Parts: sequence; C-alpha cells; structure tokens
Amino acid sequence: MIELMSRIDYSASAGTTLWHRASALAKLIVAVALVGLAVFAPGLRLLAVLHALAWSLALSSRLPARLVAAAAFYPLAFTLLFVIGRWDGGWRTPLTLVLRPLTASLTAVWLVGTTPTPDLFAPVSRLLPRDAADALFLTYRALFELLGRTERLWRALRLRGGGSGPARRRLALAGEGVGTLVLYGFERSQRLVATMGLRGHSGRICGCRHYAEWACEDLAVAFIGALTLMSAALLWRAG
Amino acid sequence: MHLHIPDGVLPPLAWAPALAVALALFLWSGRARTGTRVLLAYQGALGALTLAAMAIEIPLGPLEYHLTLIGPLGVLLGPARAFQVLMIVNALLALLGHGGFTVVGLNALVLGAGAALARPAYRALARRLPPPASLALATALAQGASGILWLGVVSYALRAGGSTPGAAAPGSRLGLVAGLVFPMWLVGIIVESLVAFGVGRFLARVRPDLLPAPRAGVGASEGREAA
Repeated sequence: MIELMSRIDYSASAGTTLWHRASALAKLIVAVALVGLAVFAPGLRLLAVLHALAWSLALSSRLPARLVAAAAFYPLAFTLLFVIGRWDGGWRTPLTLVLRPLTASLTAVWLVGTTPTPDLFAPVSRLLPRDAADALFLTYRALFELLGRTERLWRALRLRGGGSGPARRRLALAGEGVGTLVLYGFERSQRLVATMGLRGHSGRICGCRHYAEWACEDLAVAFIGALTLMSAALLWRAG
Repeated sequence: MHLHIPDGVLPPLAWAPALAVALALFLWSGRARTGTRVLLAYQGALGALTLAAMAIEIPLGPLEYHLTLIGPLGVLLGPARAFQVLMIVNALLALLGHGGFTVVGLNALVLGAGAALARPAYRALARRLPPPASLALATALAQGASGILWLGVVSYALRAGGSTPGAAAPGSRLGLVAGLVFPMWLVGIIVESLVAFGVGRFLARVRPDLLPAPRAGVGASEGREAA
C-alpha cells in the first residue's frame, strides 16, 4: 500500500493528460455522480455502461496499468465474502456485487490519480469546521514522512533480528517500533506548529484555490458527466 | 481486523443513516475545540501513523496481517479525537479504493466505537495493572467490540440484500461467512493486543506522560496541552 499511495500521489502531480488539467471540482462532481449511480443502479445494463465509463476514465488517465489494477481490484477480495454469502445460484447477483465496487474504485483511482490531493481536499475543507479541515491537511502532510520512516524502521527491525523468534516476541517488538513512531509523531507535531507560527501561520490551513479554476479541459469532464446522466435516464428501468 | 467494506454491497438502510450520524459526530468533534494546535498536529501525525501501520505486513504463517491500531489511538487521543482521525483515515483509504465512499461513515463508526471504549478501559485497568498490560487489554476490548459490530453489519447486509431495493438474499450463508471471519477476528485481537503491549512498554519507559492517567479526570497528554 505504501507504494500504491506514493505512486498515485506522484501521478496526480506529474501527469499531463487532459484529466490532469481539468479542475478538481468538476472531476469531484462527476466522480460523485458516477459512484452514486453505480451504487443505486437498479439494473445490470446501466451498471455495465457506468462500469465501461469508469474503465475508460481510468485507462485514459495514463496511470500505470499495474497501479490501476492494484487499486481497482482491491475491493474484490472483500466483495467475494458477499458473493459467497449471497450466492443464489444465478449470475446476476454476483455480477452486480462485483461491478458496483469495481466501478466505484476505478472512479476513485481516476479521481485521485489525476488530481493533487490538496486540490481535492480544498473544496471539502471549506465545508468542514476549522479543526476537522486542518486535521485533514495535517494527516496528509504527515503521511508520506511517516510512511518512509515506517518502512525504514521495519527494515531495521528485520535486519536486527526483530523478524525472528516466537510470534509473541516479534509482535511486542513491532509494538515498540510503533511506540517510537508515536513519540516521533508527537515531537514532530510540536516542531511543525512552532515552524508554522514562525512563518506567520494565520490560524487556518486553507489549501489552494486551484480546485475551482475552470479550464477548457473541463468540457471533457462535463461531457462524461452528461454521458453518465444520459445513460442513467435511458437505462434506469432497462433491467 | 480491517473493515474495508466496498461501495454497493450494503443496503442504503445500513450505510446512509451511519453516514449521517458519522458526519454529524465528525462536525461536532471538529467544533468542540478543546485542544491546542500541537494536539491537532499530534492527531494528524497519529492519523498518518494509522495509515502507515496499515501498510506494515506482519507475516502469520501463510497469511499477512495489517495493523489498525484503534486501541492505542483511542487510548492516546480519547474518543472524540480518535473518531475524527478514523473518519479522515477511512476517507483517505476510500480515495485509494480501500473501502467505499458510501461506507466511510459506517467504517468510521464501527472502528470509532472500539476506539471510544479503549481510553475508559485503559484508565480502569491502569489502576491495578502496569501500562503495557492495560494498553494490551484495552486494545483487545476495542478490537473485540469493533469486530462484533463489523460482523453485525455484515450479517445485516447479508440478510437484507444489496443496494437494489427488494433484492433479498435467498441463499444467504451467514454461518459460512462467520466461520471464515471468526478466526481472523481472533487473530486480529491477539496481534493488535501484543503490538499494543509493545507500544505501552515503550511509552511507559520513555514518555509515560503521553499515556493517560490511571484515575478518572484529565489525561496526562491533555494536562500537557493545558500547561
């Protein structure tokens, strides 16, 4: 998952497709519509069309194929539990159960793989109370630093024999490793707040305003949005 | 146990009220500004640590277990802030396809319920037991509670059908699913508790002030903040 997060984040900032140039707000609206319709779609035909749209979005964003596959197929393992639990001998229920989460996860990959995360958070943070919005940005800010640190700690633990011995000892040692990360997180937060204060932090992290800067590429997003709504209007009762 | 229920497998009656309740709790916990900026940054760091810990793979024979850390999170931050962190963590995971958007609220509520139990349990236990054992037992309680809630949600989903109205599940195999999930739940409780034991052992040795005080009242970390 570490690699997945880092690579998606990198692709969102470094990509050059028209989806990358489109505004975050437009993509967010289309993604919400696609996921919402996929979840509520009453029939397989509409679901299949929405699924095809989600695939076309994910593939046209030129994200690495392995990345798309890893993120898109992750929900399948969990969905399998529901497929087993709700098996009725037919193919419609399992197919519906598989297509819905797949469509949603493909849409999510497209959205986060083409939109830098701060742009994605900025519109959401305007709707949230100050502390909650700031916590969102601060978690994201701390994430990649801690991911790297966790990876190094884990490697060091294994090299120094932390991966051998009985499970009880290994897990307690892993816990001590997590303890060092808790301590690091606490000390880091003190430094961060001091640094923000020195730089004249106004008391609220606002994020950037790129998310609402409309571009001509938004027409493509609007086209996909129109296609989604048209499919829903035509196929809602088609079964 | 990870709770990555994807979109479209639960009936709206299960996820929609949960999303509304979770959003209301999230907004309330965001407005109840009781902490300083340092505590907010600490909360962000622990949220990031929760995500990072989920990336750690602990090999258990043929399986690999991913940590959730809801016990230590609940003990260190308290119920309101831990819930806020879990809501953010679940939203970030949903963006990566790990759990659905519609079930962010439900996932946060189920994990948050476990985290909410952790601090009171820790405080009660710490009167008699040393911090590592208290943290481990509080984590076991948190993990057990959220596992039971998770199974309740899954059972309801299997009985009620998917998100298509009227699509009941004629062949619901709840027993089979429970049989598959129960051993994982037990493994989850043991692994998380042992890891929490290590966290408690380290913090008690190096920075005991980060752990809440055993008695009822203001925790040490909050006391530090007030100072």
